[in-house]
Amino acid sequence: MSLFSLIVKEIAHRKLNFILSLIAVTTAAALIVSSVTTGRASQRETVRLMRDMGLNLRVIPKETDMNLFFERGFSDRTMPEDYAWKLATHEGLSSNHITAVLIGKIEWRTKSAILMGITPEIFPPGKEKPPIIEPVEKGTIYVGYHLARDLKVKRADPVVLEGRPFVVAGCGPETGTDEDITVQCHISDAQEILGLPGRINEIKAIDCLCKDSRQETLTRLREQLATVLPEAEVIQLGAIAKARREQRVMVRDYFLDLVLPTVVVVSVVWIGVLALLNVRERRREIGIMRALGYGSGWIAALFLGKAVLTGLAGAMIGFGAGTELALHFGPEIFKVTAKSIKADYVLLAWSLAGAPLLAGLATFVPAMMAVAQDPVQSLRQE
Amino acid sequence: MYIVERLARVFETKHGPVRAVDDVSVEIERGEFVIIRGPSGSGKTTLLNMLGGMLHPSSGTVFADGRDLFAISNRARNRFRAVNIGFVFQMFHLVPYLTVVENVRLSTRQAGRQRPEGEKKALDLLDRLNLSARRDHKPADLSAGERQRTAMARALVNDPKIVLADEPTGNLDPRNAAEIMSHLAGFQREGGTVVVVTHGTAADRSATRILHIVDGRLSTAD
Repeated sequence: MSLFSLIVKEIAHRKLNFILSLIAVTTAAALIVSSVTTGRASQRETVRLMRDMGLNLRVIPKETDMNLFFERGFSDRTMPEDYAWKLATHEGLSSNHITAVLIGKIEWRTKSAILMGITPEIFPPGKEKPPIIEPVEKGTIYVGYHLARDLKVKRADPVVLEGRPFVVAGCGPETGTDEDITVQCHISDAQEILGLPGRINEIKAIDCLCKDSRQETLTRLREQLATVLPEAEVIQLGAIAKARREQRVMVRDYFLDLVLPTVVVVSVVWIGVLALLNVRERRREIGIMRALGYGSGWIAALFLGKAVLTGLAGAMIGFGAGTELALHFGPEIFKVTAKSIKADYVLLAWSLAGAPLLAGLATFVPAMMAVAQDPVQSLRQE
Repeated sequence: MYIVERLARVFETKHGPVRAVDDVSVEIERGEFVIIRGPSGSGKTTLLNMLGGMLHPSSGTVFADGRDLFAISNRARNRFRAVNIGFVFQMFHLVPYLTVVENVRLSTRQAGRQRPEGEKKALDLLDRLNLSARRDHKPADLSAGERQRTAMARALVNDPKIVLADEPTGNLDPRNAAEIMSHLAGFQREGGTVVVVTHGTAADRSATRILHIVDGRLSTAD
């Protein structure tokens, strides 16, 4: 009779013990899988939210009148468009999600509006990431909520703006900010309309950090950019950057440092206690195996093998359940980035490796107790 | 078959050391049917466990089939037990989740028998012990007599040289007790050595020798 066959028959005989152990492994695996699967969406959602609040780093022309800048919301000066590319590719900086804009005031029919020409996100070669800012096609515009309402403009309408034909690609939701009176278009369209070819008046960025972490980011950035972008000035929106940093730290601290270890420890203890009960329940069986000439290795393998099987089964069910939870509830929670929630089969591989290992570790002490058990005591007649 | 020299086993208890077996020396020849009789707590089961290599003595030696059982490695002793010794217990000690035939086959693996050979031998024995109809039943579905016959088949399936039985009829009615004793006697007639521990007299007719043990010492040999 093979070891595997014995383990399977014992599992079938003592279903409750196995089911309770399986629940522990499955719960841990499902929680970890669902958390990691939705974690990416959470991260993207955070980035999106931060973008919606405003990008946290703004690079503007050096001679900008700051009073005017804060009053109007954009610089009255311009700088070369290739500054955005220089910033993105500068070796001393780690930057994510950089885009360049040219902003100006225009009149559209009877209304005052802000025109914002925007470039697609700029990534250094080989460091492309999924963009968080929808690129605007040439010849199309996105219209802010109030403008669209007041001018009775809707999606797919052909419109004329500053004498040029455009198609409305979309109308924004009400934001309660100047976005409601903003028209977004491709950078080159804005440059033509405003008569500023090849020029921008702001570079926006999220997560622009110095690689040298020993120095304060903004100071270091200013030093670095002084050589790369001599005509530029850097402003960091402190509250946004702080909120973003704190949110990330909070998620990491809460999840990685508290929830995950707690789940793993509780599962390990649970499995260990159940294995201990299993050893006590099977002491006669261990005694008879000894009498039949079975050695310590076989006795240990009976318990550790069962733990590994439980771990494998729990990993598979837990992966399925965790993924299903993430796919079912994730889109409800992370509406904007729901598409990034998908089954990750690398997690299945990790689960199949990790769960049997943890179950085996949890069962190690009970298995050693089984090995050390005195067969004469085990077979003592009552 | 057995040469036991000055065997002793002392258990440490909270009330002080207890000499369960004290200075026992005895020889048991191949083909003997020996009964070790004594009152409860006299040390007969402890002696049997040492004869089976299951319990280390505090002092003394046990030579079984020419081998010093406690001078060899654990692995060698396990192997010796699997091949040469069959155990029968009062409480049967069958594995509850295995069927009758699986319980019997459990012995054959450690004795190094190939699966088809072990299977055939197990089925033959079950047939001889009138258990063929019960071969796929679990122990919980069997009567006490059937359980002990299953344990008997498990003890005999490897054609051991020795069968050690600890109160094998203690939980059986007289008819089943007689049947078990007749199987043990049959094994002895075929050349096997049987050592039975009991405090009753039911097995006396089959015995070639009866040893009395009192307070851990062999007092008389009939």
